[in-house]
Amino acid sequence: MTFNGKILIVDDEPHVRLYVSMILRSLGFSTCIEASNGREAIECYEREKPDLVLLDINMPVMDGFETLKQIRAINHEAVVIMLTSLANRHSVEESAQLGAVYYLRKDTPRLVIINELRDILQSAFDTDIPAPSPAP
Amino acid sequence: MILLVRKIPSVMSQLLVRGCPHPPPPVDPLKNNEAIALQGCTILVVDEDKAQCDTLSAILRHEQFKAETADSGPAAIARYAEVQPDLVLMDVVMPGMSGFEACRELRRIHGSECAPVIFITGRHETKYLIDGFNSGGVDYITKPFELKEMIARIRTHLSVRTLLAQQRMLVEKLSRENKFLGMAAHDLRNPLCSIRGLSECLLEGLAGKLGEEQTSIVASIHEASQGTLQLVNDLLDIATIEAGQFHLHIMPIRLSELVQKSVALNGMEAARKNTSIVLQDKGTSPSVMLDADKIHQVIDNLLSNAIKYSPPGSTITVAMQTTPSEHVISVRDEGPGIPENERDRLFQDFGRLSPQPTGGEKSIGLGLAICKKIIQAHCGNIIATNLPTRGCEFRITLPLDPIP
Repeated sequence: MTFNGKILIVDDEPHVRLYVSMILRSLGFSTCIEASNGREAIECYEREKPDLVLLDINMPVMDGFETLKQIRAINHEAVVIMLTSLANRHSVEESAQLGAVYYLRKDTPRLVIINELRDILQSAFDTDIPAPSPAP
Repeated sequence: MILLVRKIPSVMSQLLVRGCPHPPPPVDPLKNNEAIALQGCTILVVDEDKAQCDTLSAILRHEQFKAETADSGPAAIARYAEVQPDLVLMDVVMPGMSGFEACRELRRIHGSECAPVIFITGRHETKYLIDGFNSGGVDYITKPFELKEMIARIRTHLSVRTLLAQQRMLVEKLSRENKFLGMAAHDLRNPLCSIRGLSECLLEGLAGKLGEEQTSIVASIHEASQGTLQLVNDLLDIATIEAGQFHLHIMPIRLSELVQKSVALNGMEAARKNTSIVLQDKGTSPSVMLDADKIHQVIDNLLSNAIKYSPPGSTITVAMQTTPSEHVISVRDEGPGIPENERDRLFQDFGRLSPQPTGGEKSIGLGLAICKKIIQAHCGNIIATNLPTRGCEFRITLPLDPIP
């Protein structure tokens, strides 16, 4: 089953973008746009108007907090999920305050990330997303 | 007594003489702390009487100190700035500026870094001496002074100063190293998450079906990244705890929810090792004030340990209970148990014991040390008991109201 939702992945590490896009693909979202820092993400956001953003925090040029602020200024309804390896309370609170809908840690086991993303995507796109079944 | 005389080649002896202008004094029992090297410390002698200055300087040089002199309060302040002494011997009665005033001024200029000042005075009255301490002096020697007493006092205060400087340096070094460790661990975590996640994708055939050999290669990559990620996370936790930045974020949470979540999370890994996890008492427990993330981490750790050491086909039992005085969570396995002679090391940092994980998993022995610190921070307790049949039980107890 495939979905047409457009998702923007923002992370300075190509391997993280690949990992996240693989996760999204297993949930049926195969059209992902990628940006490698905050500034690129803003350009991308304005041009592509994605339905949902997965956003890293520690990035060169412009960090995730500033990016989140600017995206929310462009579109106050923007659905942004933080996906970071930062585990401190301050980052979680700051993200929530700036309007991120969810805070996911990269070191969370993949199956847990998939489950949580599935819940978020289901409500964001108001649709039923079947749980991915491992390939035989 | 046997006297050993070693002949020193002439060039060598010249070097020795040049490097050390005074012969080392015989061992003196009054040298209170031989572990701290005090030779070469600079002492500033302040006295208006030049003969007195010279005598004191000669004595100090004989004791392997460097001596500098000044003949008045203002001269002492100027000389202090030039030579940065480690200690000041200050006469009290001097024309113009008294020793007390000079000491006050030195403390004002150099603040907490100021070298200790010992007064040399002919007066013994307590009130007078207290004035000296109030001006910032650390000690006093009364005239006529006993040489050995003076040297002993000088050594004591030099030792204190040296130790304080060392302590300050070590604290700074430790916090720098902790910060570095934290940063390094953090930067390692990112790529490790990707390696683990992407190798899982390959194993699940998301990029096409793998052959038998390919599967075993990717499985090795996955296992190595999993172990290293665990190590990095544990090191980060320890660094946080050691740096004193370990804070609990208390919120109300149902213990049963936490336990169920951990059991669900570890179910897959247990199944992979043909082990099952049984949860007793699924009833809802009352809401408890605790740090949900950290308690979750503890339960997770106990469960993954149990899985690690369980033989295939065995059962892990998780039980929850609330008694009138405490909440109890226990994890029982059917593994090899804890060797009695290694029990002391169980909750220590890097306290890895002799039993080996049954599936070749990695263990570095930080997990339980972290668990213990988390549970203790909640005013609770964690104990391990070998069961009479086989296996062992880890039991966490948390007070009904863990945080006062």
